[in-house]
Amino acid sequence: MFGVIRRRPQLLWLLVPYVLYLGVLPFVNRVTPLVFGVPFLFVWLLGATLLTPVAVWLTRRADLRNRGRGRARDQDRGRDRDRDRDQGGRA
Amino acid sequence: MNAVVATSVFAVFMVAAVALGLLALRGRGKGGGLAEWSVGGRSLGPVFIWVLMAGEGYTSFSYLGAAGWGYNYGAPVLYVVAYMSCGYAIGYVVGPMLWGYARRHGLVGITDMVAHRFGRPWLGAVVAVLATVFLLPYIQLQITGMGVVLSVISYGAVSLNWAYFVAFAVTTGFVVVSGLRGSAWVSVLKDVLVIATLGFLALYVPLHYFDGYGPFLDRLVTEKSDWLTLPGHGGGESGLGELWFISTTFLNSLTVVIFPTTVAGYLGARNADALRRNAMYLPAYNVLLFVPMLLGLAALFVVPGLAGAESNLALFKLVVDSLPAWAVGVIGVAAGLSSIVPMAVFMLVIGTMWGRSVLSLVPRLAERQKSAAQVVVVVAGGLALLLTYTAPNTLVRLSLISYEGMAQLLPMVLLALVWRRLTFRGAFSGLIVGVAVVCVLVFSGNDPVGGVNAGLVALAANLAVALAVTFAGPRDADPRPDAEVLAGDPVGDEDEPLAAARAAGGAGGASDHPV
Repeated sequence: MFGVIRRRPQLLWLLVPYVLYLGVLPFVNRVTPLVFGVPFLFVWLLGATLLTPVAVWLTRRADLRNRGRGRARDQDRGRDRDRDRDQGGRA
Repeated sequence: MNAVVATSVFAVFMVAAVALGLLALRGRGKGGGLAEWSVGGRSLGPVFIWVLMAGEGYTSFSYLGAAGWGYNYGAPVLYVVAYMSCGYAIGYVVGPMLWGYARRHGLVGITDMVAHRFGRPWLGAVVAVLATVFLLPYIQLQITGMGVVLSVISYGAVSLNWAYFVAFAVTTGFVVVSGLRGSAWVSVLKDVLVIATLGFLALYVPLHYFDGYGPFLDRLVTEKSDWLTLPGHGGGESGLGELWFISTTFLNSLTVVIFPTTVAGYLGARNADALRRNAMYLPAYNVLLFVPMLLGLAALFVVPGLAGAESNLALFKLVVDSLPAWAVGVIGVAAGLSSIVPMAVFMLVIGTMWGRSVLSLVPRLAERQKSAAQVVVVVAGGLALLLTYTAPNTLVRLSLISYEGMAQLLPMVLLALVWRRLTFRGAFSGLIVGVAVVCVLVFSGNDPVGGVNAGLVALAANLAVALAVTFAGPRDADPRPDAEVLAGDPVGDEDEPLAAARAAGGAGGASDHPV
């Protein structure tokens, strides 16, 4: 479990929605301040809904970068791809 | 006259939807086997997976229940938005993991995965029966939902009992013929209609009744501020406070990623990257769920005093009250398709689970999995319809435990795939304890228990038992290597032919299991 977080720390971005919707809920569960007349809780949850795709995008961006680096290295090492993966350097 | 116009619009679109589902099969030839029918031959691209999975999440509940909850309680209904967003986000990891596992071992659902993981085909059958019990209420809810919609938009001309039957007949016929691919196609039509109608209503209703959003929100804040925070209107009695919101969202976000219908969507994907891209786009779709809630709140001012099940009609009362017949028809179509698509996927999943995990244990049926699965679909749909007529309350009670019961499969399905040490005895005893705790708490009226979602309490007990039995008992005697039994999330690997070839060669596949 923790090995994966060490190799792909970007997965922690996926916890962002949990923090936004649940972690801070006691502090945002209120009507005021109104934002353009909209009650604060609704504004917050709407914001969280719009930020969730951003959090997933950040994970994906990091994954894609790592993969790109992995590919380049694979070409250098030629057939040693399996050794590379055993060392966990790819992901 | 109104009834004729609205009903005709509805009928025309329904026929078009079924035709679209059939068209989806063109060029795919006949037969195609269980995998083509149940997981679209694992060939759906990102766009189809997006509409299909968004379609499953957006059921007739969104039109009826979400507006009804908004009307009755207010803010608590937003837990739906919260858990779907969180669930889609962790689907970024879980989706590709399950997809890769299923593809490597030729599996078509969670019952299959459990059977493979623990090397016990009968365990798959047990999970299939359990999952069916938890899914059936959803089918019944969709039948009821679509029946109510059809009855309302025909201005009462079509009686409820006939409307239920139409809902059942259209959906069953549709799913037997078209399978997952057809559902994905019809999902496109549905999504266009849902986005258009909800977008329109979000603008129109406040303008029509309140002269715009400013005055509408002003009245909400001054007159109905109870509804605008947790625990919502009715406060303490409803038990829908912050703790309930947090525990329910957390539990459901985990459950939704292994929900059999979600997994059907995952497995239909062409490659794992389609799923990752989806995990990114899908949460944005949830913005639409704010609309029915707002409309439910608007209905508080326009049609006050709806009680009980009537509150589910909050949105349609507004629609019928303020729009011409043809528009009522179109909105009815959107709501109707929102029943049909999820219902089709639910039935498909039940058929697949039984065809693959239960009936295959009977030697004579093993070779005709697809036809057997299709028969199961008709039987399951018929059963749901029968119960809709004869014992509507039984299924309403069952639907209370559906999600919380399904959550009890989490250790056996998800934990087992990343943790080799979890023994069969541990997972199975955990499951039994978890389901028992859910049933006791829910049926004794203790959900939420002390403000916490009963399913989460049961899951904690489930997990505790699973761990205790695992560590106290003997290890499973299973000679297969880890790579054969566990799932990983092999980033980047699965899109390359090399990986497929390696997987076909057996050992040494994508073995970076996350333990």
